[in-house]
Amino acid sequence: MAEMVRVDSLRPLPVSSSMNEEAIERYETEFKQHATKWQEILDRNAERMKKGTYSLEWMKTDKAAWGRRAKPSSRGLTYTDINNVPGYGTIPAKATCLNFAPRGSVRDEYASEMPVVDDYTLVDRDESWADNVITLYEEAKARQWNATRDIPWSELERLPDDLEKATCQLATFLTEVEFVAADFPAKWLYKIPQDFLEVKSFLVTQMMDEARHQEVFRKRAIAGGGLLHASPGFEWALKAIYDAPTHTMGTFLLNLLGEGLVLTLFRSGEMIAKTHVDKEIFRRCLQDEARHVSYGVLELKNYLDHAPDREKALEEMHRFADVGEQVILTSFSEAALAEPVAILLGGGLDKIDQGMEGQGKLWQISMEEYLQRCDRAGFPRRERCTLPLEMQWGCG
Amino acid sequence: MEAEHAEVTSREEIAFPSVEWFERLAQLMKHNRARNEHLGYIDCAVIFTVLDGGLRGKPWSAQVTFEEFEATDVREATSADLARADFSVDATLATWREMIESIARGRGRPDLTHTLNYLSHTGEPIRVWSDDPLRKDMFFRFNQSLQEFINASGTFRTIFPD
Repeated sequence: MAEMVRVDSLRPLPVSSSMNEEAIERYETEFKQHATKWQEILDRNAERMKKGTYSLEWMKTDKAAWGRRAKPSSRGLTYTDINNVPGYGTIPAKATCLNFAPRGSVRDEYASEMPVVDDYTLVDRDESWADNVITLYEEAKARQWNATRDIPWSELERLPDDLEKATCQLATFLTEVEFVAADFPAKWLYKIPQDFLEVKSFLVTQMMDEARHQEVFRKRAIAGGGLLHASPGFEWALKAIYDAPTHTMGTFLLNLLGEGLVLTLFRSGEMIAKTHVDKEIFRRCLQDEARHVSYGVLELKNYLDHAPDREKALEEMHRFADVGEQVILTSFSEAALAEPVAILLGGGLDKIDQGMEGQGKLWQISMEEYLQRCDRAGFPRRERCTLPLEMQWGCG
Repeated sequence: MEAEHAEVTSREEIAFPSVEWFERLAQLMKHNRARNEHLGYIDCAVIFTVLDGGLRGKPWSAQVTFEEFEATDVREATSADLARADFSVDATLATWREMIESIARGRGRPDLTHTLNYLSHTGEPIRVWSDDPLRKDMFFRFNQSLQEFINASGTFRTIFPD
């Protein structure tokens, strides 16, 4: 029997250092460096409070757009309504106010005392603006839905095994891919200055939409049998979007191409749904997706229309698209996507060949829609498109 | 969830295709305002065409303008309206009839193979089109509202030409 080890003979445990020691140190150092600024403000405020005096500086309106009251339109008070008030609706071509001070507030005279948010790097309006962004934001808020409450989950019917597996695999794919359309805007959102508040607001609705899509497909899979297979092809497509070098390039790949294809997939999902529950899910999702596509088209158009050197901008977009299209194709050619869709289109595993034929037709439609959207954005992609315009199935 | 129009709620009979038929849908949309507020704004002008629904089998079209939560204008479409509309929804009388009858059988909800999206996804038997892809995308952006607009036909009887 081993000798008993007495507790008091054990070596003391090492003193645990804070897991966040370095980060806290950096934070302390940064704010100590700027102490002359914020400490002065604090001292000034403390002095005034000690004296029992008031500033009332904030009540001065000579530099404000004060008194021009916004009037609601029939649907309430929209961003468009308040932007119509002089002093609030001018979107600067380049944001110079790199802090949180609201556009239209009295802020210039305080600028020298304000901190600069170093992360605000997307300072050119035309790297994120789209002329439909306010409309889409208002529409997005008005057309939100609830994946818990608005889907008739109690009507979900049990399907034959092949159809249920195909439905759950499609839901697994969508669960895997949907959140990139939230992560990508999130990656850029904090880089967009406050002066472009309409873009920031819209991107937040897109993130909410994608959270709901991820939620509804995860729920659909788990309510119907379970999640099935993740896939490497999906992951590469998502990485190609996430790692896009600029906001406009990523928005093109995500919103115009990727979500355009997913919009077709949602429409197909509605068409091939075997239950009213699935129909409702896909119909709700396709509405959201179409908003994202619309933003993508006009964001690219705005970028190209205002590029200082349009030809160079176009060439860069083509170079990016040459790679992006191929990586996106990796995802849409995966068996874990193409085969379940074919089974659902055909009506069963035994009719998968018919389903693949149907899928070929849908691919042609989605390619034409993609090229039309590129044309609409002023991005002539027809001659350079690297995607097959027809599905290469059974022709080898 | 789709609106439950319960069942045919009146013995009212309305001929299809006709302006009256679309006007009745507009009235029902107004009546169901709470449901439409829940679905959200719908802002678009749509041409609904019955390809063989006019005199001597020629096309017949209605233009319906949607604003916020209502169909604010319904009229027989002219060629000028075609240019102003955001998108068109075209189908033969037989296709319209099949869809409307499916909605009636389902008491305000079509069966799985007779939704607007199902019938239009491949471009046939319903064709949704516009010269501008952004305006065509409105068919998708407002799809649930458009579906429920048509679904309201389940609350009255539709009479079709022989």
